[in-house]
Amino acid sequence: MTIQFKITRHLLEEVRRDLARPHRYAHERVGFISSGLSSAEENLLVLARTYRAVADGDYLHDPSVGAMIGPDAIRKALQWALSEGVAVFHVHTHGGIGRPGFSNIDLREQAKFVPNFFQIAPQCPHGALVLSNNSVHGHIWLDGDKSFEIVTGFVEVGAPLNIWSTS
Amino acid sequence: MNRFDRQSFLGMDSEFKLGAATLGLVGLGGGGSHIVQQSGHLGIGGYVLVDPDHSTETNTNRLVGGTLADLESLTAKVAIAERLIRGLQERPRITPVRDTWHNATAKLKRCEIIVGAVDSFKEREELERFARRHLIPYIDIGMDIHELGGKKYLIGGQVILSMPGKPCLRCCGLITEERLAMEANKYGAAGSRPQVVWSNGVLASTVVGLITQLLTPWFNNPPDFVYLDYDGNRGTLTPNDRMELLRNKICPHHPPEETGDPLFDVREFNRHVADLALNKSKFSSAPPATSLWKTIWAGIARALGL
Repeated sequence: MTIQFKITRHLLEEVRRDLARPHRYAHERVGFISSGLSSAEENLLVLARTYRAVADGDYLHDPSVGAMIGPDAIRKALQWALSEGVAVFHVHTHGGIGRPGFSNIDLREQAKFVPNFFQIAPQCPHGALVLSNNSVHGHIWLDGDKSFEIVTGFVEVGAPLNIWSTS
Repeated sequence: MNRFDRQSFLGMDSEFKLGAATLGLVGLGGGGSHIVQQSGHLGIGGYVLVDPDHSTETNTNRLVGGTLADLESLTAKVAIAERLIRGLQERPRITPVRDTWHNATAKLKRCEIIVGAVDSFKEREELERFARRHLIPYIDIGMDIHELGGKKYLIGGQVILSMPGKPCLRCCGLITEERLAMEANKYGAAGSRPQVVWSNGVLASTVVGLITQLLTPWFNNPPDFVYLDYDGNRGTLTPNDRMELLRNKICPHHPPEETGDPLFDVREFNRHVADLALNKSKFSSAPPATSLWKTIWAGIARALGL
């Protein structure tokens, strides 16, 4: 099985621009990407649609982490998944160059909130992405009870096409 | 020395990028067959080749790779295209589909780029919509010969790069309700339209240039929306005025909310993947096949107490 995440350059630039904005007290920003889905035999295509930034007031004061979002931010993302029946991906950036990775805090927090999306929109997979300035890495849950899978390929759709593979 | 030395200006990793790419080609007639040949030379490694027809006598004036022998054997156009590529590459990944593209969607979804060299506006629109749903750049190629009166003719055509989010064939004015209605009314009445090899070649070469730009560009910032007009009487290929006018326009006809399959359900997908895995494991754990002679010999041996 392969899992490919595709996003237009226009949308990815919008995400990067938003995540680069300074916040009053959080060290980094967070957002959510909604996605449509399609399958091709045993392969899954995740097709990014739109982006929503986490509102300034929905960050919590927590100097021990880059950014901690509060229950309102999660509730709004859950509402989005429910009302539009979309896959939702948490996204933030670590900056730098090359393939990024999730921190231990990222992994801990993902494991807490991503499975909750299956209570709301069980027909869609959900997950989390981390960006660098020129690459991306992602985890996807295909089932609320199981552990995540690694997104095996990314395509930034534009001219030229940027194609990354984890293999 | 290797076969790609003369195109090394495309970049150090161009051979890898081209070889890893999969191109969906719908329509393997006059235009599509040129694209097949050039893509094979260029080094594109993967192909989903789609066309329901076989070669006929009226194709022989322009079907690149087709031979007179193909007429007798009713060789499918997908088979001609596959033969052409295999003559140019050692291990291409080819999925031939001798059917309409509607029955090749699972294969086409996984392509990096789809090229449509199809005849009708309806088919163009449907194929573009499919490509947009799956965030796949779609390149449309088309040519026509129009009678000017007095037995004089105009050869015209277009190449359009339709990038998800950017202007589409409707934005370009190529697909209109009027054209679709006119085409629907003519359905079944139209005879075969005139087509010639050289103008197909001009348009197809331009398409292969766009494919290369998308995969391994040789200059900065290649355009993400292209609309070129071909005037076969003047021998020119020029940007349509809309290319500049629409350059930064966001397409209103294919909103982002339309991406993906509206009926997708990951629970069904998980069941499907589990079934496939189960079937694979059943197949791989089956005992090795025993030859008929070995079975007979074993029976004789048992009977003789050997």
